[in-house]
Amino acid sequence: MGLRRAMHKYSSRPIFAIAAGGGGALVALSFSANAADDDMWPSLQKEVYGTRPIIENDGAVLIDAPERAEDPAVVPITIRVPPSVKGPLKSMALIIDKNPAPVAADITFGPAAGDGGGERRMTTRVRIDTYSYVRAVIETEDGALHMVKTFVKASGGCSAPASKDADGETADLGRMQVRSFDPALPTTPLREAVIMIKHPNTNGMQMDPISRGYIPARFIKDIEVKRGDDLVFRAKTGISIAANPHFRFTYRNTDDKGLSVTANDTEPTTFTGASGQAAALSQ
Amino acid sequence: MCTPAQLQMITRSGEEETEAIARVLKRSVSRRSVLTGALAFSVSSIVTRVAASAATSMDFAEVAAGVFVHQGRYELQSPQNRGDMANASFIVGDDAVAVIDTLGSAKAGADLLAAIRAVTDKPIRYVINTHMHPDHVLGNGAFKADGTAFVGHHKLARGLAARADTYLASSKNMLGDDAFAGSEIVLPTLSVDDKMTLDLGGREVVLEAQSVAHTDNDLIVTDAKTGTIFLGDLLFSGHVPTLDGSLRGWLSLIDQLERHALARVVPGHGPHAMQLPAALGDEKRYWSTVAGDVRKLIAEGQTLSEATKTAGQSERGKWAMFDQYHVRNVTAAFAELEWE
Repeated sequence: MGLRRAMHKYSSRPIFAIAAGGGGALVALSFSANAADDDMWPSLQKEVYGTRPIIENDGAVLIDAPERAEDPAVVPITIRVPPSVKGPLKSMALIIDKNPAPVAADITFGPAAGDGGGERRMTTRVRIDTYSYVRAVIETEDGALHMVKTFVKASGGCSAPASKDADGETADLGRMQVRSFDPALPTTPLREAVIMIKHPNTNGMQMDPISRGYIPARFIKDIEVKRGDDLVFRAKTGISIAANPHFRFTYRNTDDKGLSVTANDTEPTTFTGASGQAAALSQ
Repeated sequence: MCTPAQLQMITRSGEEETEAIARVLKRSVSRRSVLTGALAFSVSSIVTRVAASAATSMDFAEVAAGVFVHQGRYELQSPQNRGDMANASFIVGDDAVAVIDTLGSAKAGADLLAAIRAVTDKPIRYVINTHMHPDHVLGNGAFKADGTAFVGHHKLARGLAARADTYLASSKNMLGDDAFAGSEIVLPTLSVDDKMTLDLGGREVVLEAQSVAHTDNDLIVTDAKTGTIFLGDLLFSGHVPTLDGSLRGWLSLIDQLERHALARVVPGHGPHAMQLPAALGDEKRYWSTVAGDVRKLIAEGQTLSEATKTAGQSERGKWAMFDQYHVRNVTAAFAELEWE
């Protein structure tokens, strides 16, 4: 499948790694890369979706991202599907055109994701390497693809060190938090939950200070979220997801609010967690 | 190359001197921070102005006998400021000199060196970096010489090496080719595991490696003779603090520092010298506010994105460079505190 290829491919695109840093010298973004120059999307679209038509800006999907990413290694992105969209969603993809592996997440939904009745949301945090369009593409029940894009000014997100505390990073790798939030009204069709996984999600572009080579990529590559036996979603995730992967999402509201999560990284190591209980690491 | 340096020394005393210091703090954002800075200056009797070259000049204040501090601007790196946007200091002993931080480019470092040479011709035995950030280390190259050791926290080399390419690329981008020319990463040759004492001849300089706070490689430098403590970027005044380490670690270090007896401290960004514990007040309020707001939002189930819009906004207007760094601070705070 094209999507998978684009996700894990390390393209030969020049990577314009600027900025990052911190403190008194946290570096501002001042250069004037712009949206118009070398549009990646036509080739990317062909690779990921082939010749399938994509409806753009029809309001079926919305995306929230900061216009300027103050921390390019932790850029919050929220994809929203308004209540006017009825029925279950088949899939959702988050694509960062100019990142070295553009497809950040490719998500398929199961029956526990619900079929609307309110605004459906998926929030995560990504690395953005240079000024780029960020796109959300959803596939509705009828098989149609809907897309929205926004431009984010960021630079250096991919080569920034995964952690500010280099020793703390590996100390609790795999620790997982799963929280489900009770909605204000018990009868609301959707409820919300958050999954957080302690993981440096190294992308192969960060420098190893000892060897002066690059730290091998080790990242969460898939996440499965279930309520009981029912799938909420399954996500294939790439190196554009920020360190300590974070997903916050809506799903069908029922009395049974327990979620179980299984995530695999590229080692592969399996991490599990569940709402309302401590996380466990299983090899 | 710099033209022969000029040195003007203006001796003042009492209130006159306090006023002089206040005038030096031209870039202070508010009257309040000017006063805080000025308050600290009852000790020094000399203000030194060193014109390092015709084109550039570097102001120094001798905040205690043999302790000279230059105040950097509250700005981002630019071709105009040539990376001179952090404080840099030097201590003169009987035999040798120790430099504390070297500014943000080889050229700014060369100006610093010229300014030191206008005061003393004793050898520079130590170049101490308080932490890894480019505005404190990129002038190191100007000090490379036989017999000069580069000194830092034991995690400084790792932190710098991991970021070397990024720091150089971003600094070049911000400074422009001309101001950046010659800048390089010089890794420490002497590493402080916990505590180390350097001897400048009749003068001991104590170095203490800290746990993760502003960064994971913060070093506190104390000139024992005059009781002057160089906090590097563990202390910001006027310029909004920036977080590249651990907010919880930093707040806990501030609590420890507050228990210090009255002492003169030199911030990484801010006036030439201030007094403990009052000097920490604004910074503590800022981080406590950010931590409190972020924790409340996390407890309410709010998102990072929401936090970047609301957390700590009561601090707006109280700091220079707030718009440049605050959102990033909130992002770092949120990503740390959500794991509590």
